[in-house]
Amino acid sequence: MLTILTFFPVVGALIILALKLFKKETDLLIKQLAVGFSVATFLLSLLVLAQFDMAVSGLQMVNRAAWIPSWGISYLMGVDGLSILMVLLTTFISMLAIASSWTAITTQVKSYYVFMLLLEAGMLGVFLAQDLFLFYIFWEFTLIPMYFLIGIWGGKNRIYASIKFFLYTMAGSLLMLLAILYMGITNGTFALPDLIAGREAFAAAQNWLFIGFAIAFAIKVPLFPFHSWLPDAHTEAPTAGSIILAGVLLKMGTYGFMRFNLPLFPEASYQFAPTIAVLAIIGIIYGAIVSFAQKDVKKLVAYSSISHLGFVMLGIFALNEAGLQGAILQGVNHGLSTGALFFLVGVIYEQRHTRMMADFGGLWKVMPVFAVTSLIVTLSSMGLPGLNGFVGEFTILLGSMGSTALGTRPWIYTAFATTGVILAAVYLLWMYQNVFMGPLDKEENKKLRDMNGGELAIMLSFLLFIFWIGIAPSAYFLLMDSTVAKLVAHVMAAATVAMP
Amino acid sequence: MNAFGLAPLLLIFPAIGVLFNTFAGPRLIRAERKTGEMYAGWFASLMAILAFLVAVMLYFSLRAHDYHAETVRLFDWIVVPSAGFTIPWAIQVDTLSVTMMLVVTGVGSLIHIYAIGYMHGDPGFHRFFAYLNLFLFFMLILVSGSTYLMLFVGWEGVGLCSYLLIGFWFDRVNEQGKVMNADAGRKAFVVNRVGDFAMVLAMILLFWAFGSLDFGAVFGSAVDLFAHGEMVTLFGMEMTVGAVLTAVTILFLLGAAGKSAQIPFYVWLPDAMAGPTPVSALIHAATMVTAGVYLMVRSNVLLEIARQSTLDGVAGASLLGLSGPDWIALTGAATAVLAGLIAFTQFDIKKVLAYSTISQLGFMVAAAGMGAYVAAMFHLITHAFFKALLFLGSGSVIHGMEHGHHHVHEHDHEHDAHHKAEKFDPQDMRTMGGLRHKMPITFAVYMVGTLALAGIFPFAGFWSKDEILAHASTNHGSIFTAVYILLTVAAFCTAFYMGRQIKMIFFGSPRHEAAEQASESAPIMTYPLIILAALSLLGGLLNFPFFTESAYKAAKAAHSFGINLGLEHWLEHSITAFALTEEGIVHMPHTPTWMQVDVALISTILALAALALAVGVVYRKRPQTATERDPLQGTPIWWFAILPFEWFYMHTVVPAFKWSARWLAEVLDGAFWHDFVHDNIIRDLFVGFAKFSANVLDANGVDGLVNGSGRLTHAVGAVLRKTQTGYARNYALGVFLGTVILLAYFIFAS
Repeated sequence: MLTILTFFPVVGALIILALKLFKKETDLLIKQLAVGFSVATFLLSLLVLAQFDMAVSGLQMVNRAAWIPSWGISYLMGVDGLSILMVLLTTFISMLAIASSWTAITTQVKSYYVFMLLLEAGMLGVFLAQDLFLFYIFWEFTLIPMYFLIGIWGGKNRIYASIKFFLYTMAGSLLMLLAILYMGITNGTFALPDLIAGREAFAAAQNWLFIGFAIAFAIKVPLFPFHSWLPDAHTEAPTAGSIILAGVLLKMGTYGFMRFNLPLFPEASYQFAPTIAVLAIIGIIYGAIVSFAQKDVKKLVAYSSISHLGFVMLGIFALNEAGLQGAILQGVNHGLSTGALFFLVGVIYEQRHTRMMADFGGLWKVMPVFAVTSLIVTLSSMGLPGLNGFVGEFTILLGSMGSTALGTRPWIYTAFATTGVILAAVYLLWMYQNVFMGPLDKEENKKLRDMNGGELAIMLSFLLFIFWIGIAPSAYFLLMDSTVAKLVAHVMAAATVAMP
Repeated sequence: MNAFGLAPLLLIFPAIGVLFNTFAGPRLIRAERKTGEMYAGWFASLMAILAFLVAVMLYFSLRAHDYHAETVRLFDWIVVPSAGFTIPWAIQVDTLSVTMMLVVTGVGSLIHIYAIGYMHGDPGFHRFFAYLNLFLFFMLILVSGSTYLMLFVGWEGVGLCSYLLIGFWFDRVNEQGKVMNADAGRKAFVVNRVGDFAMVLAMILLFWAFGSLDFGAVFGSAVDLFAHGEMVTLFGMEMTVGAVLTAVTILFLLGAAGKSAQIPFYVWLPDAMAGPTPVSALIHAATMVTAGVYLMVRSNVLLEIARQSTLDGVAGASLLGLSGPDWIALTGAATAVLAGLIAFTQFDIKKVLAYSTISQLGFMVAAAGMGAYVAAMFHLITHAFFKALLFLGSGSVIHGMEHGHHHVHEHDHEHDAHHKAEKFDPQDMRTMGGLRHKMPITFAVYMVGTLALAGIFPFAGFWSKDEILAHASTNHGSIFTAVYILLTVAAFCTAFYMGRQIKMIFFGSPRHEAAEQASESAPIMTYPLIILAALSLLGGLLNFPFFTESAYKAAKAAHSFGINLGLEHWLEHSITAFALTEEGIVHMPHTPTWMQVDVALISTILALAALALAVGVVYRKRPQTATERDPLQGTPIWWFAILPFEWFYMHTVVPAFKWSARWLAEVLDGAFWHDFVHDNIIRDLFVGFAKFSANVLDANGVDGLVNGSGRLTHAVGAVLRKTQTGYARNYALGVFLGTVILLAYFIFAS
């Protein structure tokens, strides 16, 4: 099941590539096929959800086959409470991203959609692979389509941004590769469950191994101060690229911490928690303040991601149930809110070919529907209660103050992190005012059309989840509860043995 | 009668109103302006009225059920089972929440109806009513939630509506080109968020200390622990309940200071007057800004435990020697005086009322801090009546002035247009004067509002303000004395600035041609005013005190209080501190139940003196013209015109933030981190290393492995040097192919 899900988009990509053989290749057909396959993949992921048993804390729907037995490498796929929401997020965001490219992409249509579908497959693989070697291959594989998406369909500085993105994340993962090889060789297996069971073998080196993984993931998240690639990549990427980058790719980093760092190196995680929490909080505040100074809307949203992901990281390293569950949900929330924000920036960019706040003003008058939907998304990003962002943020902050990993004064962490709530209002309302309020005084803006049906449909899909998670998120927490509880128990048991 | 099941309708009606005006409103108005407005406005008003009827039914249900609180659970909100964190959406129907519901929907309905007349012809008519209904929706969530977190949903939600409504005319620009309305809305939201920051921390603290955010559960657990002298385990340490609750009450104070415009966060409220006047009446006078007071009254148990802990000398249960409630009381009293003084210096009719609101909220906050919860609620209710009346009255005045101005303009237009360029501010009291003849109904109701606000017998404000003053004067302790003195001064200020205001608006002779041509507003606006005037006159009956001690004792012996102390007997069912005091767990300061004649006399004489001083002395013959200096200008009173806190924020906090944002973005993140560290140090080192390995190591013939890596780094270096060429793509293609080959190798190798 999971294998079918992961490679289903690849089938789509292959069919699109094969169209030429049958002399049927038209842009329209390619688009229809790509959208069709992404919708079908989403439906498949819902099927996975239907079979998912939330009472089980371990891996489910496991596919296991020996692959390179001599090296202890296996083909191992499985899903649990940590990944089920990520899988759904991936298929959902990919579907909307592919659909949103309908009019935006006019050049090299075929390769564009092929890369999009391959990217989706790679991301699914990252969230489902339970063998470290397999994981690593998927992890690196996602870089390639993203590299081309930025490099070919990006803005005017795209080459620089794409290379920076590629090398930066590539360099980070090299250390992870070393760590993976070390563990695989000492244990004779690359399967994650086996490694967790046999972590005594590399427990002595776990601080170094933790760092090896952490740097790869921290770059991806990005955790301050590894964030420098992100604004470049975001501003240069095409709209759909930004949506996927913010929506899913960044979550691969936070997911990596939860999937690998915590269970494999619990003592090290406990020990490094305050350090990472401090970096996360710096990220929250720094990202928010730097956002405020941006003149380009897309860059502002990009920096806001650093702030939001800071909350997620803080939640993870609170190392308790509330923090981790809040972090997973906030990952989803950020994907929805920021994905939607990038989509909205794309809608206006397509018409005006500018993203500078100074070029706008008073848009509410000509685009009321666009203005209202943007307002809701902005508020969701700000963490207004009743919308999705608040639920995640509050749970994370709750977790952080109840954290034992953060020493005897966890409230100091919470207090600093909570200032992010104020700063988010400062920069997001500033952006909203500059774009939508004030007088409609630019000639070019007076002729703008409001959102069309297709754009509205995509937007409503985002809004559906923004409201749902905001008002009734309990189903989402239940999906991950047992897995997270087990993970926390595992980490805490190890940490208390190590540090009485 | 049991109508508790209807409670959800309280929220559903306004929600329907929002949807109606969002989706159907624009179409209706586009089709036919006049009838469209009628449908849009009356539909929204009807939803408010229906919500009011639900509140009335809940009131009778409570009476029929011996005032027993009822919780109507809707569905789960946040549930994190393994963390023990469960928050439902649930409506708590008790005497306190029903009181708030009645005020919100009752005054709200009147203001909705008034707004149909006031907003007539505005292009955003339907948008306005959608916002008003949305506000009711969130305000009702705020007052009816059964948990702190649900209260917070309403708390932020009304903040959002306030933001939207202050910035309702978002495209208006002032002479300096500032988008002032939108700026004012943003300011309100951001300042409120500072308070919300404290609210979030307070709630999290409560959760970890008492394991819940449900009102009943938190209070129950706090009382249990406190009564048994047990400790709270927090952050792996043992802490006293008193210490935790002192922190919580101080954080609540900060939260309330944001929402209820107290020192140091009151600065947003005067700017909020940029919104349409019905908004000022509903949100920024009668309801939303009282949320902080509601929070305090709702948390009465926590406040009293904190106060008792300080008195008992419990470890950690004080801040600078004062208890949390003491800080609340002092903050409120200081705000009451400061805002009262600032009101002296304002010329804008609505700004005077705005500072007056801040000052009156100070009375309520001080009352709550002193433990006079019933008095705080009493003043909240009467203030809702007379301040809504005054704001709507000022709206009527502004409307009349605008009308007059239009009239002059049309008149001008026929002859010559030399007045066209003249700037005219219909809210500037200096341009008014003599309006009592032009707008007799508005004048009459405005006088009622003024006398009620000034605290003149027998108007509503007299009774409620007097109860607060009596409470402060009869309780012992330096805090109570200080608060009593401050509030008495504030009461004097209130009467003075209101005297000044009515003198400038209604008396003397018109100082501008617009005032000469002003006319009375339409009945749809004056009828709600008349109803509010009646309420401002009779509101004192809600909690009518006994006149003498013996009358109180006789009534108590007979167990028949009649009309007297109605509000107290109604509210004591939800103010648990009363019961705790009887059990001896805490000792809540006692509010006198019969009139304190001395206090009443002092405050009445002061108020009358202040009115007389303003109307009969300082402003007796002034101002004569619209450009004349105010007689107080140049005196020390005018120092308050520079708005001490406003000046501080605008000259320190705001520029510092902007500067640091620019510095961080441009210098640290941009020039240093992005350009220097990444593009110079890291890239150049990498390129340098690549060159070194390619030229030196390679040339010296080291073994194949190094050779290979040398070539690879050489390639990378080349890519980095030629980032602007297509070379990079080839390299990435290489990596791609490499991955594929590697994959193929492993697949076939096995």
